[in-house]
Amino acid sequence: MESCLAVEREIDKVLSKFSGVRDHMNYTIDELIKSAENICYELSNGTVDRELTATQSIILNQTVKRIKEAVCRIGSEHKDLHSTVSKVGKAIDRNFVSDFCAVAKEGAFEDESTRNLLSEVVCEHFLRQGKLDIAEALNEEAGLNIDESQMEPFLELHRILGALKQRNLGPALRWAAAHRDQLLEQNSTLEFRLHRLQFINLVRWGPEKQAEVLQYARHFAPFATQHAKELQILMGSLLFLRQGLENSPYAYLLDPIYWDELCDIFTRDSCSLMGMSVESPLSVSIRAGCMALPPLLNIRQIMLQRQVSGVWSNKDELPVEIDLGKDYRYHSIFACPILRQQSTENNPPVRLVCGHVISRDALNKLSTGNKVKCPYCPIEQSPSEVKQLVF
Amino acid sequence: MADIKSLEHPTLKVPYEILNKKFRAAQKNIDREVSRVQTAGNEFEACLQKKEVTVGEVTVALDSMVEKLKMLKRKADESISEELEAARMIKRRVDHLKEADNLQDSARPLWQKKRLDRMLVEFFLRAGYYNSALKLAQHSEIEDLTNIELFMTSKAIEESLTRRETGPCLNWCYENKSKLRKIKSTLEFNLRTQEFIELVRNNKRLEAVRHARKYLTCPSEEQLPDIQKVMGLLAFPSDTQLTHYKDLVNPDRWNDLVQQFRQENFKLHQLNSDSVFTVTLQAGLSALKTPHCYKSEASGKNAECPVCSRHLNELGKELPYSHCANSKLICYISGQPLNEHNPPMMLPNGYVYGFSALETMAADNDGKIVCPRTKEIYSFEDVEKVYVM
Repeated sequence: MESCLAVEREIDKVLSKFSGVRDHMNYTIDELIKSAENICYELSNGTVDRELTATQSIILNQTVKRIKEAVCRIGSEHKDLHSTVSKVGKAIDRNFVSDFCAVAKEGAFEDESTRNLLSEVVCEHFLRQGKLDIAEALNEEAGLNIDESQMEPFLELHRILGALKQRNLGPALRWAAAHRDQLLEQNSTLEFRLHRLQFINLVRWGPEKQAEVLQYARHFAPFATQHAKELQILMGSLLFLRQGLENSPYAYLLDPIYWDELCDIFTRDSCSLMGMSVESPLSVSIRAGCMALPPLLNIRQIMLQRQVSGVWSNKDELPVEIDLGKDYRYHSIFACPILRQQSTENNPPVRLVCGHVISRDALNKLSTGNKVKCPYCPIEQSPSEVKQLVF
Repeated sequence: MADIKSLEHPTLKVPYEILNKKFRAAQKNIDREVSRVQTAGNEFEACLQKKEVTVGEVTVALDSMVEKLKMLKRKADESISEELEAARMIKRRVDHLKEADNLQDSARPLWQKKRLDRMLVEFFLRAGYYNSALKLAQHSEIEDLTNIELFMTSKAIEESLTRRETGPCLNWCYENKSKLRKIKSTLEFNLRTQEFIELVRNNKRLEAVRHARKYLTCPSEEQLPDIQKVMGLLAFPSDTQLTHYKDLVNPDRWNDLVQQFRQENFKLHQLNSDSVFTVTLQAGLSALKTPHCYKSEASGKNAECPVCSRHLNELGKELPYSHCANSKLICYISGQPLNEHNPPMMLPNGYVYGFSALETMAADNDGKIVCPRTKEIYSFEDVEKVYVM
């Protein structure tokens, strides 16, 4: 925040000083023009061929001198603003990191194939948001050859979600029916929930739609075993058809939260059905990058100061641990508490008899002969008793 | 806030360079008009010095001075307005960046989305995807926050270069003469050399010599060999097969000029050679990258993990892994972190899951646990605790 404020202070100075100079300049020049015109006016009282008197000549000389001086000052006044302008630049340089490239691998994303991959990622990112025009423009300009059949699934999901947000269940119901088997396979309750909302929608209309409501209830037949309890509740709500659901113990069924919930469930289930992540991978990576860059830049600064050259000389791993928070954990990582190393296939985690987990290499280092003592508790055991773990 | 410090330098620096340029242009304008008024003043004084000067002559001279003054006022006013506009541009961007600090949690995703869009616009512009960049900028209303204008001017110049016209680019060189000299740019020299080559190509050799005399005669030490080489071209037919000279007449040199122009333009506006987008993406992929994302068996992958997704997986291949000195364990079933509230439990086959997920599974299945990865069935009682330090 401080960095923004520092720049803002300087830019405010620029704004006020420039406006000041402009006003002052306008005023001065107006005055000069006015006085010159006054003299002109006085002179023109009479014939043109008259000779100039000595006094007039002196006055004119003075006026010209004054004009020349004033104008000269205007030029230098503006020139003096340069320091104010350059202070903005300095404030920006001082408060913001100008060279962030050094933490990246040079030209890593430069060659043709990676560039295309990158464009495809971006294109997909926009398709997910339903921004077809941008995706198409990119597709064309980057020469990606993503054809319509590849775009369609994304757009369909986006359309359905849009309809859901408008409280229109039709498209979602059709989609769910078409993918019923796949949805059931992943234990999705999506279709049932869609029907339930549709049913509640009908109940809201009151007695006039009674026949329709009963008709619609047949849709629930396939879900009878799995959702028996919820079905009973829904049927129970029919008792209050006449006096209105909002005045019944079932009023909670009208809560708009069910709609939000449904949108979330639809996104989650449809994405997982298509093997996609719920959030755009690009957004997630960039957010992670925004968190990772500051510490990386810091460590580079420190390493430069200590003259440890080549921060990235160790190409296998970043030089510091970056904690992105639990939302960004997608895999279990076991780091051996003894060796402070990540486990690998050759050095897997093992559980000692006492329950403590260390890495295989650490176990080998700690064992003497046929005995090993747990580094955390007094239990002694044979190295062959340990159990290899998979997290 | 640290991310703004690290990432937003170009957001502010580019409009600053524009302000700086406007300032210099304004100073030039004002100086020119001031000197005009001065000359008029001098003439007027000279006129007064004359003997027997008439009122008519004096009024004419005075009128011309007033005209010059009015001109100065108009020009100066215009110039300063432009400077103010450039300064306001910086201010708007600062304001947008400041927003990031006081964001409600609900507004944060929107700001972050805008940031990504800003990055993408710049990435598009750098890659030359102008149409996409414009569409995106309009769509998310970030025209003011991105450096579109800068790239649009450069687009026009780049296109003229691909049409084999040097005029617009030379103009640009002239406009930015002092700055280009400071960074020791060879762009103008290369443009002039290219013009020479084109003349030779079209067999206008005499004209070529004249051209060389005019533009290539004040070389610095380093350029002398280049000039000698290029002059050597005069001795050969334009379809020469000598590799040395064949390179010179290669039309690809125009593309090199486009590239050079692009680089110099970036340098002039203090832009880095890589876009913020690619640098951030690399850092992000690295920070997320784990060995699991690259294991051969699919069970290690997580559909939610960006590095496991198809394209990003490929892009991340060469990047460093995240560094991890402490264990970060999550439950394979629920994705929840494993800690004292959800302790890790080991099935007899060595696979580890979170207590809560196993408990729920056991409750639903009469105390039976099915390992989701090996499909082996165990009783909940066989599950053992593991302690991870």
